[in-house]
Amino acid sequence: MEDKTDTELQMHPDRVGFPAGKVFLSGVAGLILAVAVNSSTLLADAERLPDSRSRSLSVAIWTPIEEVASTLKLTWPRTVGDSLLGRDEDEVRISLQREQIGAKPESGEEEWVVLSVEEEASGDQLDQTPSVTSGPVWSPENPFTIWVLGDSMVQFFGETFVAMAERSALVAATSEPKLASGLSRPDYFDWPARISAVITAHDPDAVILMFGGNDAQNIKTDDGQWLERFTAQWEEEYRKRIALVMDLATGKEGRIVLWVGQPPMRGDGFDSRMRQLNDLYRSEAGRRPGVKYLDLRSLFTDESGNYARYLPNSSGKLTDVRLTDGVHLSQWGGEWLSALLLDEIKKSPELDGLWAE
Amino acid sequence: MVGASLFFYGWWNWRFVFLLLWAITSNWVAGSQIAKQLHAGSNQLARNWMRTAIVGDLVLLGVFKYYDFFAVELSNLFGGKTAIPLLELTLPVGISFFTFQAMSYVIDLHRRVIKPMPMLDFAVYLSFFPQLVAGPIVRAAEMAPQIRNQPDPRRVASGEAFHLILRGLFKKVVISSWLASSIVDDVFSNPESHSSQDVLVGVYGYAIQIYADFSGYTDIAIGVALLLGFRFPTNFDRPYSALSLREFWKRWHITLSSWLRDYLYIPLGGNRGRQADTYRNLLLTMILGGLWHGSTWNFVIWGFIHGLALAVERMLPNQQTHPVIRWFITFHIVCFAWVFFRADSLSSAIDVFRAIGSSPSSLELSSAFAILLLAGMLMAQFFPHSKSEDVKQWLSKQRVLTQGLAFGFGLVLIDLFGPEGVAPFIYFQF
Repeated sequence: MEDKTDTELQMHPDRVGFPAGKVFLSGVAGLILAVAVNSSTLLADAERLPDSRSRSLSVAIWTPIEEVASTLKLTWPRTVGDSLLGRDEDEVRISLQREQIGAKPESGEEEWVVLSVEEEASGDQLDQTPSVTSGPVWSPENPFTIWVLGDSMVQFFGETFVAMAERSALVAATSEPKLASGLSRPDYFDWPARISAVITAHDPDAVILMFGGNDAQNIKTDDGQWLERFTAQWEEEYRKRIALVMDLATGKEGRIVLWVGQPPMRGDGFDSRMRQLNDLYRSEAGRRPGVKYLDLRSLFTDESGNYARYLPNSSGKLTDVRLTDGVHLSQWGGEWLSALLLDEIKKSPELDGLWAE
Repeated sequence: MVGASLFFYGWWNWRFVFLLLWAITSNWVAGSQIAKQLHAGSNQLARNWMRTAIVGDLVLLGVFKYYDFFAVELSNLFGGKTAIPLLELTLPVGISFFTFQAMSYVIDLHRRVIKPMPMLDFAVYLSFFPQLVAGPIVRAAEMAPQIRNQPDPRRVASGEAFHLILRGLFKKVVISSWLASSIVDDVFSNPESHSSQDVLVGVYGYAIQIYADFSGYTDIAIGVALLLGFRFPTNFDRPYSALSLREFWKRWHITLSSWLRDYLYIPLGGNRGRQADTYRNLLLTMILGGLWHGSTWNFVIWGFIHGLALAVERMLPNQQTHPVIRWFITFHIVCFAWVFFRADSLSSAIDVFRAIGSSPSSLELSSAFAILLLAGMLMAQFFPHSKSEDVKQWLSKQRVLTQGLAFGFGLVLIDLFGPEGVAPFIYFQF
């Protein structure tokens, strides 16, 4: 092997190479260049990390680097590149939507919030006729619309649900997952703004929401204060965020809003945290007649009530319902959940026959 | 090097460091005993040590990777009662790779292809971090001399190494991730909601995605090893230019296919017996090769399709078929098999084929850019001397500082063009 390498090196004198020390230094120089040019992005990534020692350290490292690089105008190639690729437009759009939501409402003021957003954004007054209660007016041209929104959990059942729901030509469903997102970190992805935009633009007849997997972390308030997770202050703030999302989603009378709770998780600690979040979701949903909370804990547990990766299906065959990560749903798990969600929507008497045609 | 490699592995899950240490220790002890018994003329004892080591490696692999699969299948066979308890263990990253390397070591020792390695050298060989988690599967015969003679620190092929790392990152971060997020994931998660053309583009897209993903990782691994003075074998050689399945397997994941050939297909009898035996050996080898990738029926079917196609190729007389037709058939058999490899279940794979067979409608998901990218990537397979080679040549001729700065600039470009949030390497799961 070595002979071959030597021969090859002799055949290609330009490939003989350089001393390891010089290569190391040149690699370091390259990395410094990359870090300097990318420092704004690296700082933004660090700021999006969950509040922890690791985040503080990352921010402490990248902040001075970014300042120096910006002062020396080293970040402009990246800025220009992002601008040419339209990356900055997304941020502008989200921040505009956030502004449109305005002050967070107290529970019960949902109509005010949604209407103000709708008026501001589209300039058109939406049809206020309750869609579900108005009878079977659905047609392929005017379908019953469902939106599924949430974190990576949605990625594993959302499209399955869409396929199931769209077996009826009278239904149009959309799944929109955003990985690693949640309600704790609007600085990473602003779900209230996104939900507001979806409601404004599409006026869906049913909304399915699933959050929580990334939310058991410290929260940064609007005034920049960090709240430690599961403290009373944290819970108060997190409840507000749940309430805001629920209120934005319910909006008009008659819209079906399903909030999907977290299933049991394989890791004990993670499972315990998800139980605590489920309690908050259940409690907030209980305060709103327009929101139905769906408990998944009984659906994805074995006979002993514990987390199970394999469960018997309708024909009694063991089937993997969870992925190997012990968190997300497998395809079968996604099908189970989708069927459950569809059954929930079908419970509305006005929707009888929507899937029968 | 061992410390760095164990730290690297432990960063993911420190508990599995003990598993790796066990694999190192048990195989090294067995290897030493094999050499000792061969030296003493006791071939039978040496064989027993080799078998013990192989069984130990297979048990390791079996418990972590296959136990639950077989337990569930057995349980379902007997009416769905969970008579066999399920372990639900986390699959240690890279276990399929380091157990295969360990097996090749003890087998090669028994075949007298190599000499026993010192403990520390063997530990470096089995735990070497650039290829620990997703290959390539490097043989002891290839690594042992390089470890023993130690790399020359005065001659580091930095230009080639930087080029490989950048090329690998570009394939993974830009091409593979973009294809996954813009077409492939959508198509495979809900094929029936897309037009037949979109689904077809999604299948071709996955063929390119998995190539970019896995060969990208291999490029990075080879590049990093090169910076440390080690040269890994080639693992990919423009596989989609193959005119037959046989040729495809000489170009795709070469270190796995040669492993399967040398340690499975040939010991099974290879093509030395009757025609029927050769077909059986091909089928068995490829089915087990499929199962190596994962414990689901989809991987078994993927392996079966390749085994069957290889057997049929041997059955057919040598015809003077036009190369374009041979390429077309080969590429589409490979893509057909990829559907099973990628789909979450058998029914999902069937849904993909059903969607392709549905009445055509307009392209919605696939942009002109995506189709051009796929066509470009496919065409690039037919050019042995690609533009990438020109870049390598250019970079290798530069001063070392220029190489480093070019490397840094390349990283910026890759980060700029890559989508936000890059999925893990596909082959990490194997």
